Amino acid sequence: MDLIGLILGLLLLWAFGIACLVALPRRTARADEPGGGAWTIGAGGLAGFFLATLWLRVLSFAGIRFSVIAIVLPLLAATLAMGAWAVRRERGTTGDSLRDSLRNSLRNSFSKFRADLSGRSLDRAARVLWRLLLLWLALRFVFLFTEVATHPLYPWDSWTQWATKARVWYELGRIVPFERTDAWFAAGGAAYFDAGPHYPGTVGLLQVLACNFLGRWDDTLMNLPFWMLSVAFAFALYGALRAMEFTALSALLGTWLVASLPLANTHVALAGYADFPLAMYFCVAILACLRWLKTREPADAALALLMLAACPLLKIPGRIWAFLALPALITGLLPQRGPRVVGAGYAVVVTGLLLLAQTSPVILGYQLHLEFAPDWEALANSFFLYDNWHLLWYGAIAAAVVGRRQLLTPQVAPLTVVIAGGVIFVSFVLLFTNARNWLSDQSTVNRASLHLAPLVVIWMLVVFRAWAQTLRGPVFTALPEADAIEPLPDVPPPATPPATAIAP
Amino acid sequence: MTAGDAPARPVLRPLRTLAAAIVAVLLAYLAFAVPASWFPSSPVKQWGVRDLTLPRGTGGVANNELIVTGTDTSGQVYVAVTTDLRARDYATITWNARNVPLDADVHFLWRTDYAPKKIFSVPVGVESGRLLPVILANDAGWLGQVTGIGLAIRGTLTQPLGISGVAAKPSGAIGILQDRAREWLAFERWSGTSINTIVGGDEVQPLSLPLLLATSIALAAAVMVLRQRFRPAQPKADLAAAIAIMFVASWFVLDARWTWNLARQVQVTFAQYGGKDWHGKHLAAEDGALFEFVEKARAEMPTAPTRIFVASEADYFRERAAFHLYPYNVYADPRTNALPPPERIKPGDWMLVYQRRGVQFDPSAGKLRWDGGTPVSAQLKLRGEGAALFLIQ
Repeated sequence: MDLIGLILGLLLLWAFGIACLVALPRRTARADEPGGGAWTIGAGGLAGFFLATLWLRVLSFAGIRFSVIAIVLPLLAATLAMGAWAVRRERGTTGDSLRDSLRNSLRNSFSKFRADLSGRSLDRAARVLWRLLLLWLALRFVFLFTEVATHPLYPWDSWTQWATKARVWYELGRIVPFERTDAWFAAGGAAYFDAGPHYPGTVGLLQVLACNFLGRWDDTLMNLPFWMLSVAFAFALYGALRAMEFTALSALLGTWLVASLPLANTHVALAGYADFPLAMYFCVAILACLRWLKTREPADAALALLMLAACPLLKIPGRIWAFLALPALITGLLPQRGPRVVGAGYAVVVTGLLLLAQTSPVILGYQLHLEFAPDWEALANSFFLYDNWHLLWYGAIAAAVVGRRQLLTPQVAPLTVVIAGGVIFVSFVLLFTNARNWLSDQSTVNRASLHLAPLVVIWMLVVFRAWAQTLRGPVFTALPEADAIEPLPDVPPPATPPATAIAP
Repeated sequence: MTAGDAPARPVLRPLRTLAAAIVAVLLAYLAFAVPASWFPSSPVKQWGVRDLTLPRGTGGVANNELIVTGTDTSGQVYVAVTTDLRARDYATITWNARNVPLDADVHFLWRTDYAPKKIFSVPVGVESGRLLPVILANDAGWLGQVTGIGLAIRGTLTQPLGISGVAAKPSGAIGILQDRAREWLAFERWSGTSINTIVGGDEVQPLSLPLLLATSIALAAAVMVLRQRFRPAQPKADLAAAIAIMFVASWFVLDARWTWNLARQVQVTFAQYGGKDWHGKHLAAEDGALFEFVEKARAEMPTAPTRIFVASEADYFRERAAFHLYPYNVYADPRTNALPPPERIKPGDWMLVYQRRGVQFDPSAGKLRWDGGTPVSAQLKLRGEGAALFLIQ
């Protein structure tokens, strides 16, 4: 019974996020875009969970104790209100009655979503492959669900610095501060202590939400939000790839490439770390930025801002990751000069950091020092020899090499500059700070790379497609779904050749 | 890959090319890896834990494994096996050992009927606490009939070392491929390092499966590019499609292995925790005994969260005890086995001690002291095996 309460509560958060997204003002209906439904469901899930943690912060600030009522009632009311608002807006455009409008809206959205998710646009062989792939993905999520729902909190940091906060905040019904040693002693019992007192609290708040829905502390089931976020992320990726004009099969392949990364799976199965949630929010934030560059819809901008806001509230390096949206926007808004501006900016930042590194400063908790002595063997193991990433880094390097001429084309450049910035950031942290000590024991290198990995998969696909299109010769803009193409009107041939016909 | 594409391109040709490339890469690997005959006739010879003796060092047999707990007075461990094998037929010796210190000086020793008074030795590599195979095919001393083999380890054992057996292998092509396949398919269960890295099978792998597949894709793609140079009529777009198909197929191979591993892990997890409530799961976990003691301690403590200090030598127990104690206001040093000085502890605070030396309690005087510091007044509220709970007064 309590498990049902937990699942219903989490589904409410998901629905709340979807309602927020559909209520945002748009010029075109999202369901009309390829992958629009999947994107709304996926990004909506991520938005809903994050907004709910913000709601807990509001409750705590207002001095209202966390409880099912304090969480569910406002979120349910907001979900219904925003849903009604979206339907009323639809009604305003069609002139139908409220009931008809709701019915038509739901029917229309559902049929478009079903069409998009059924791979109907594919031929028979591709559709069979699409369905098999979907089954394969579903099987993975079943395994991951079983692990999350069965295994008590397991990895080290999850119970030394993340769930510690969840336990305290859940039991006390409010957010209380965690402090470092001296401040803790000085607080005389008013503050708490753990191995990472300065770490952001969003992961802990996700667990607090789950425990409230469950009605008790349970360090196994409280991790279900991680699994749900990963499912939502898969939807969002599929929707984003469809919107980038990948076929249903290619989009699902891309989704599978991300969803099958062993380290990402491990972070779902052994939930409790902030790394994969950060990777998901960062990836969706950048994808939302790219959508906004294409559509200029305020809804996409709002979603991008929300996802970017989540990054620093999940993990401290999220501040840098969120900042990387800026190069994407500059490149997207200034296709001609943007890459050069961003390149110059990166050069300035790198030079500045190299100069700073002469004096061993501490930035974001990392001690910077110019001493280039990477453990190449450990790096090779992490990225190429162990199975952390399947073939991701081989594929990314190969895509960068074969598609080098396409990297800075207007379609690819915004993603390329984000990936370049991310690689610079991770390389700098791992090669020039005290974090390089964690290279040899493999304790951080992969988790730091995980933040960027899903986006690298998307970038790899985009670059590869751009390269493949050059092999095919001039390519017209990809066509929308076959059933949406209108037949061309019959045009009679000209009676006489035009005067400007080819001269001999 | 755009919506307008016709996806019905032949997929079999790239897959065949990839398969051929894998075979070629494996043959190239075998050319380096096979130390002697490619197709030997001798079978693998194995010696289990019952055949092992421990002339130097301390330890015993448990769970079908020789557990070495300490060295002899000269800091050495020597494990020996009496054998009867023809050196020419066996190129490799593989010890099945775990928890070997990375800085240990390990040597493989053997004696032959050819030079019975002489003991030959070669160094053995250690990786991830395991011993690397010893290749002897080209060693001048690996001759005649081998009458005894042994393992000499010099170094400090930080944890018990386990040896479950040793095998002499002819190391032909088939045997080597079988070993690699076994390593790739070995079950990699969750461990403390899983959140940081996934090896992909056995911890020690002379040939990584991702590397094999990536090299094969590169070779197959190179062949296709060359083929296209000589057959320009073939559309270039097919090359991209072929590379994509090979990449996805290889990814699927890795993913199938990983999913299979995940399925096995689900079974293991379910066997350990399935059907148990939150409390039962913690009792079944690795730190079940600690959890049980903390639960008893919680029953002794007031309902309102009070300050409590945790003392334990092992970081793991100190931090686990702290985790089980929240929402009490716990202080456990995450990195060092240090307790705060007595002046920072006040009456009404609690202290939980679990497997830690240097903490003394005088029940008659009601005084608690740690690390030779000034005693503080305390009351013993609970006592367990190597554990105690005190209320500071």
